[in-house]
Amino acid sequence: MQVTRSPGATSTRSHCTEVPAIESAVAIRMAGVNKRYNGHDAVADLDLEIPAGAVVGVIGPSGSGKTTTIRMVTGSLAPTSGEILVLGQHPGQFNRRMRERMGYMPQQFSMYPDLTALENVDFVASLYGLVFFRRFRRRKAVLKLVDLWDVRNRRAGQLSGGMQRRLELAAALVHEPQLLILDEPTAGIDPLLRRSIWAEIHRLRDGGVTSLVTTQYVTEAEECNLVALISGGHLIAFGTPDELRRQALGGEVLEVTTTGMFDAGTLANSAGVLGARQTGPRDFRLVVEDAGKASADVVQAVAGHGGEVDAIREVRPTFEEVFAQLVERDRATREPAEAAEAGSAEAA
Amino acid sequence: MGLVKTLFRILAVVGKEITEVFRRPGAVLSLILGPFIILAVFGAGYQGVKKELRTIVVVDPASNLPKDAAAYQNLGARGLVIVDVVTDRAGAEQRLRAGEVDVVVVPPIDAITSIESGVQADLDVVINLTDPVQAGYASFLADTLSSAVNREIYRVGAEEGQSYAISIGGHDLSNVPPEVIASPTRAVINNLAPVSPSLVGYFGPAALALVLQHLAVTLIALSIVRERSSGALDRFRSSPMRATEVVAGKVIAFGLLGSAIAAISVWLLVTFLGVPMLAAPAAIALVIGLLLLASLGLGLLISVVSDSERQAVQLSLLALLASMFFSGFVLRIEEFQPAVQAGAYVLPVTHGIALLQDLMLTGSVSHPWQLAALAGIAFVLLALSWLRLRRELRPA
Repeated sequence: MQVTRSPGATSTRSHCTEVPAIESAVAIRMAGVNKRYNGHDAVADLDLEIPAGAVVGVIGPSGSGKTTTIRMVTGSLAPTSGEILVLGQHPGQFNRRMRERMGYMPQQFSMYPDLTALENVDFVASLYGLVFFRRFRRRKAVLKLVDLWDVRNRRAGQLSGGMQRRLELAAALVHEPQLLILDEPTAGIDPLLRRSIWAEIHRLRDGGVTSLVTTQYVTEAEECNLVALISGGHLIAFGTPDELRRQALGGEVLEVTTTGMFDAGTLANSAGVLGARQTGPRDFRLVVEDAGKASADVVQAVAGHGGEVDAIREVRPTFEEVFAQLVERDRATREPAEAAEAGSAEAA
Repeated sequence: MGLVKTLFRILAVVGKEITEVFRRPGAVLSLILGPFIILAVFGAGYQGVKKELRTIVVVDPASNLPKDAAAYQNLGARGLVIVDVVTDRAGAEQRLRAGEVDVVVVPPIDAITSIESGVQADLDVVINLTDPVQAGYASFLADTLSSAVNREIYRVGAEEGQSYAISIGGHDLSNVPPEVIASPTRAVINNLAPVSPSLVGYFGPAALALVLQHLAVTLIALSIVRERSSGALDRFRSSPMRATEVVAGKVIAFGLLGSAIAAISVWLLVTFLGVPMLAAPAAIALVIGLLLLASLGLGLLISVVSDSERQAVQLSLLALLASMFFSGFVLRIEEFQPAVQAGAYVLPVTHGIALLQDLMLTGSVSHPWQLAALAGIAFVLLALSWLRLRRELRPA
C-alpha cells in the first residue's frame, strides 16, 4: 500500500502555507459594492476584505468584472453603491500622499513607445515625486529586478510583449509602493516569464507589500494567499486556495485502487467519508474531511467490507476543476433564484 | 519638498514630450521645413495674374464698327483677349456654352446716335460662369471694357470735332488732344507703406501664423488623446500627478518646440524668401509666444472634448479650415457679417496674422488691443481645458 500525492496534482501547494503570517490590518475593504453600466451589473454586491501583506488574486474569465473592481480600488471608477476603503481612505478622496503609497499596473501597455525602457521608468518615477539619487537608484534597481537593465536603452515600442509587461511592472514598483495593484500582469506572456513575475510578487510580499492581482489564468490561484473568484460580476468564493478547493469538492479527495473488484457505495456511511464515486471496477474516489487522517480509516473500512487496498493517494484537483465546480454550483443556485425573482416581479 | 516634486513632475512631462517629438526625425523635419517649403513653392509657382478671358465680339453686319480683332484688342481693355469678331450672336453664345470662349461682347449698333439723343448705349457682356469669384472678375473686366469703349467714343468724337466731346462746362477743348479729352485724368499711386513686399512677402507672416497655430493645436491635442487611449491618463489618475502639472508640462514643452520652429521659420522666410522684418525681434517673439500659448489652449480644449484620435484630428482640421476662411488669411474680415467677424476674433490666428503682418511689414502694431485679445484667448482656453482635465484626472 502506498500513500502518495497524486502526480496529476501539481506539487505547488498554496504559498499561503509557506509565507509569513499575514498582518491583521485590512488593506482594502469592499462592502456591498455595486457597479452598473447601462443597466448591466459589472460588479454586484461585492464584499471583500484584503489583509495587509497578502497576495490576493482576483480570478475570473474575461469580462467577469475584475478590471472594474481594480479600477474602483484605484479610484478611477466610482461604485454605483457600496463602500470601498483602501488603506483606510475612500478612493474618491485619495490625496497625493495616499497615491504615493500605491502602485498600479494597468492591463494594457501604457508606456510611451518612443521612449526607452529607462526613460519610461524615469518618467513614472518623476510622477511619483522621486528626485535626484533616489530616482537614479530606483530606476536601476527595478529594471534589474525585471531583467530589463541590459535593454534599458531600447525603445519600449521595440520590446517584446513579455518585456513590455515587465516594463509595466518595473514602472509600478519604482516608487516602492505599500499596495500594489496589478491588472493581469501575466496576460499574454510565456510560462517562464509568468513564473518570474510571480516570483517577484512573492518577493515583494515577503517585504510586506500587499498585492491585489487580477488574472484570467485560473491556475495562478495557487500563487496567491487568498483568492477571490469572480464570475459575471459576482463574487463566487473567497478564501485560501485550499479552502476554495475544499469548498468546491466538499472536502479532500482520496483516490483508492483495490486488488479486486470493490463497490465504493459500501463506504458511503463510513466514519470521515463524506462521499464516494466509483471510477472503475477496482477504482473509486472518496471525499473525506482530512485526507491525512482518513487514509488509515479507509484502508480498514475497505478491509471490513472484504476488500484490500492496493494503493491510496490524495488527489489535489487542479484549480481549473475547482473553478468550474464553484461556477457551476453558483449558477445552479443563482439562476433559479434570479428566475424566481424575475417571475415574481413580472407577476406583480 | 512638495514644490520640488511639482517642479520635477512638470520637467518630466516637458522632457518626455520633447524627447518623443525628436524621436521622430521625419516629423521634426516636416515641422521645420514644411511651412518654408510650402511658402517657397507658393512664391515660385504663383503668377500673381489672372488668366485672360477669351472673348468674342459680335458686330452687327449693318454697323460700321471694325470687323478685325486687333482693332478691339487695341482699345486697351485689360484681362480680355479677343479671339474672334463675328456677326452671329447665337453662334457666339453657343461657343460660350461649349466652353470655347469665356466672354461674348456685343457692342451697341450705333452708340453715337444713342448718346446724342441722350440715351446710354448698352454694351452687352455675356458670360457663362457659376463660380461667383470668376463671375465677379468677369463683371469687373466688363466695366473696364465699358470704360475703354467710352474712352474710345470720346477720342473718336474729339478727333472728329463732335460737340459732345469737345465742349465741357462751356469751355472749348478743340485744341486739347483727343486722348486727353477721352481720358482727362489718370491715377498715380503713392503707397505710404514702408515696404512693398512681394506676394510671398505679404503672405509669409500670415502663413507663419497659420502654420504655428495648426502645429500647436495638433501636437498638444494628439498628445493627450493618445495618452487617454493608451491608458497613460489612468496612470496619471492613480499617481500623485495633478492636472495643473500635466497642462504646465505640455504647454512648456510644446511652447518651446513651437518657439524653436517659429524662430527657424522666420529666419528662413527673411533670409531665403525675402520677407521683410521691420519690427524688433523681441516684439515678434512676444506675438509668436502669445499666439502659441492661445493655440496650445485651443489644442488642449480639443483634446479634452475628443474621445478618440480621429475626433481630435477632425476637430483640428475644422479649426484649420475655419482659420483659412475667417482669419483674414484669404478674405478680409471686414467683408463678413458682424456676427461672423466676432467668431473670427475668437480664433488666435486672426490676431496672430494681423499682428505679425503689422510688425513684419510695417514695423508697428495698428491695433494694440489684439495683443491683449490674444493673451485673453490664451487664458480662457487654458483655464477651460485645465478645468476639464482636472475633472478627468480627479478620483471618481
